[in-house]
Amino acid sequence: MRRLEMVLSRLAWFVPTMAGLIVIVFLISNVIPTDPVRIMAGENATQEQVEALRVKLGYDKPLAVQLLRHFQDVLSGNLGTSIYTQRPISEDLFKRLPATLELSIAAITVAILLGIPLGVVSALKRNAWIDQVLRVLSVSGLAFAAFWLAMELQFLFSMTLRIAPLNGRISGFGPDPVTGFMTIDSLIQGDWESLRSALAHLCLPALTLALPAAATIVRFSRAGVLEVINSNHVLYQRAMGIPSRLIVWKYVLRNALISTVTQIGLIFGVLLTNAVVVETVFDWPGLGSFAVQSILQSDHKAIIGFTIWTGGLIVAINLLVDIAHSLIDPRGAR
Amino acid sequence: MSAGMTAPDLLTVSDLSLGFRTDAGLARVLDGVNLRLQAGQIMGLVGESGCGKTTLARAVLGILPRHVARIDRGSIRFDGTDLLQADEKILADQVRGRSITFIPQDPFSSFNPVFTIGTQMMEIMRWKSPRRPVGSGSPLFHAYPRARRAADREAVLAMLDAVQLPQPKQILAKYPHEVSGGQRQRLMIAMALLPEPRLVIADEPTTALDVTIQAQILKLLRRLATERNVAVLLTTHDLGTAYEICDGITVMYAGQDVEAAPIDAFFRRPAHPYTNKLLASLPRPDGKVQGIPGEVPNLVRPPMGCRFNPRCDRATDPCRAERPALTAPGPAHAVRCYHPHA
Amino acid sequence: MTGGAMTGGAATARRQQAGWQRVLKRFTGDRAAFLGASLILTLVLVAIFAPVLSPFPGDVSEFHTAQRLRPPDAVNWLGTDRMGSDLLSRILFGARITITIAVIAVGTAVLVGVPIGLVAGYYVGWPSNLLMRVSDIFLAVPQIVLAIAIAQTLGPSIENVILALSITYWPFWARLVYAETRSVKNEVFVESAIALGASAPRVMILHILPNIASAIIVRTSIGMGATILTAAALGFLGLGAPPPAPEWGRMIAESREFLPEAWWYATAPGIAIFLVVMGFNLLGDGLRDILDPRIRRAVGRSE
Repeated sequence: MRRLEMVLSRLAWFVPTMAGLIVIVFLISNVIPTDPVRIMAGENATQEQVEALRVKLGYDKPLAVQLLRHFQDVLSGNLGTSIYTQRPISEDLFKRLPATLELSIAAITVAILLGIPLGVVSALKRNAWIDQVLRVLSVSGLAFAAFWLAMELQFLFSMTLRIAPLNGRISGFGPDPVTGFMTIDSLIQGDWESLRSALAHLCLPALTLALPAAATIVRFSRAGVLEVINSNHVLYQRAMGIPSRLIVWKYVLRNALISTVTQIGLIFGVLLTNAVVVETVFDWPGLGSFAVQSILQSDHKAIIGFTIWTGGLIVAINLLVDIAHSLIDPRGAR
Repeated sequence: MSAGMTAPDLLTVSDLSLGFRTDAGLARVLDGVNLRLQAGQIMGLVGESGCGKTTLARAVLGILPRHVARIDRGSIRFDGTDLLQADEKILADQVRGRSITFIPQDPFSSFNPVFTIGTQMMEIMRWKSPRRPVGSGSPLFHAYPRARRAADREAVLAMLDAVQLPQPKQILAKYPHEVSGGQRQRLMIAMALLPEPRLVIADEPTTALDVTIQAQILKLLRRLATERNVAVLLTTHDLGTAYEICDGITVMYAGQDVEAAPIDAFFRRPAHPYTNKLLASLPRPDGKVQGIPGEVPNLVRPPMGCRFNPRCDRATDPCRAERPALTAPGPAHAVRCYHPHA
Repeated sequence: MTGGAMTGGAATARRQQAGWQRVLKRFTGDRAAFLGASLILTLVLVAIFAPVLSPFPGDVSEFHTAQRLRPPDAVNWLGTDRMGSDLLSRILFGARITITIAVIAVGTAVLVGVPIGLVAGYYVGWPSNLLMRVSDIFLAVPQIVLAIAIAQTLGPSIENVILALSITYWPFWARLVYAETRSVKNEVFVESAIALGASAPRVMILHILPNIASAIIVRTSIGMGATILTAAALGFLGLGAPPPAPEWGRMIAESREFLPEAWWYATAPGIAIFLVVMGFNLLGDGLRDILDPRIRRAVGRSE
């Protein structure tokens, strides 16, 4: 019963957060002492052209009216038309969402599979050479500029060794879009060639995104295991002669995993941050590369749309993580 | 207690000295400690916090922090075997949790919060049940025969009844945070007695509980231990707790044992100056509390001789040079002092 | 332990001195923190003495197209870029941009975030809740996304990058200080200061702030690293300092079209970013171990 309440209150928090996000993005783009219309119109536009565009876009109305319209637009999914593709921005974002999700999910899976075992080993072999090496690696993993790592991986694996595709999501036309996830679509259509190609294209970008995330997970799971290993319940089980391997792999691990799960939302945030630039390097047709193209086109509305979508995605993921945590932790979430 | 005098010791700690490595140097936490405990006896190990009583308890259990603790000399003989020399595998399998069990100080944090009480109790039964054949099997892939599991579960339910917990089956399905502190400590007592041990080490078992519940838990522990002829080594800083359930008391000060006596002799004829000050510091009916002047000594550079000498008003030069040997002011009564009270 | 006979003031003074000596000793003993501090010191020195250290100080703005894309050799230790400028010189001057952005952006974020967190943590009521909700919303969005939105609105320049980063990073400090203030506020020394009639600003500045300073310092060190990475990403996306500024992120972006031939072009600024961020992260980690007594205790217990 308490869990249901918790889930409901988290769900209820989603609405004001999104509303706040929309307001903040609006304020940032309108209150900052600059003229977005002038930037949109381009440097060569005459004053008349700028004013005409201002009226056309509704920037001549009072701020409150603009905010209200902004809300209406966002809620009805109308974010304007992209200068780059000449299509509605919402439509573009929606079409590109699966690419970003596929990449992020692949990356977080790799990061978890890599990070948790290494973190546990690091904690168990505390201060041994393997722990020292892993600690250096995990600090390093957070110090790379993701776009640079992406380029170096391209240089090494695609250009020099030629064992991974340079960029893009797939070679050829790929499977018919159903879910928008290349791997899932080719799997359900039995298109093995496409599946192989999709997975090959996923490797480098997913690895680029996974490394910093794995570094974070190693740190959290190491700290989590150390905290539990020094806890009274482990001392008690040791005092009662429960086999120590069983204590570690059954009891300590479960506790440490639960505390690591709470960090997944945070890690996802870092991952999406990096995705913006990494997608650009790999020409990955997701939200991030859309944002970068919009920057190059000075497409103000598209950037706002992207900001709201990404913010919403992160808020939604945090919500899911909170709910998942409250379900797997018998104590209930914080 | 006169019968206890002739019975062989169940546990004999002799001349045990050990230190902890700290930033400031080696802290000499135990310095030539002696302790004797007979089968079925309840012994209170009394002293201020930091006097080494918990360290002694953990040394008997063999769970001192590995990288920090250094045992210099001495022995811990349990039932004829020196636990310090015994094979670690045999200790973990047949002694720890089996013939010597443990009741921790804090029953809340001593349960793993994300497993049910039933899971954690049955885990202990799986490895420490009296019906388990000794030895055999890898720890991770060890079979738990169905018949023994059923018998163990019956034993668990019977024991929950014995520690006066209502609705035993429902309690097993609960998580630790869903039961009260008193109930958790009853569960800990149940878990300590289920393996049918010969010795239970109870480390301040009632400190974390409400005063009203403390007495109930102590009485329960006393009754069950006596019924089952289980010896108890109970550490406490509270003389009242010791008085309530112990047969004998050993007093420690700054890592040294100073006096051991049967309970009535202890309260009627305390011999060591520290014991006398400890008794005088108990709150009296008139409300006056008399503290012990001075501070607990630094264990990295402890005082020579009797470690109590800087705070003792009877201290003389010999006290500062060498630790006094044991003398016996009465039957089963031992004291280490050059100038004991009569 | 030795303070029994001493007067209270002298004992406290000596204990504090011993505390600082211990911190200093641990600091020099902690290889990671020491390495981090050395890297940061190097960055600062490089930024100050860039004109002296650079083999070709003029190359920040001069082009030598005849010498473009030369691999590292005895003259150009790190090679040359697409304009024929010496990469080492440009990287050394780029340290100035990096440190300017990081110091001003983080400084502003700290100056905004810390007072907000302090006030919101000290007073209980709806304005505090509102402030924290707003910072939660800021934290819900990846920093770079908001920074992109802001920097794009304002147009590419160093000032705008700094502004964008300050606006997006203040909630990190506000959140931290808020939580720390809430937990310190119930400590005996704060309650007694309030009971003795100390004014609210006095309590906040003289009693609470010193006690949460170490947490702020640790967060600031790690925040510097994160800010440098975000600034580099903005530069990479063309939202940072306009050319020909030797901004590290922009240099990496420029080098993209010359991979795989000019491998040195991207490598050098990438490693520069890595070393600087590593320096701040190591320092932050080390300071956390040294300054945070809770973690010290947890570690001590395990041994």
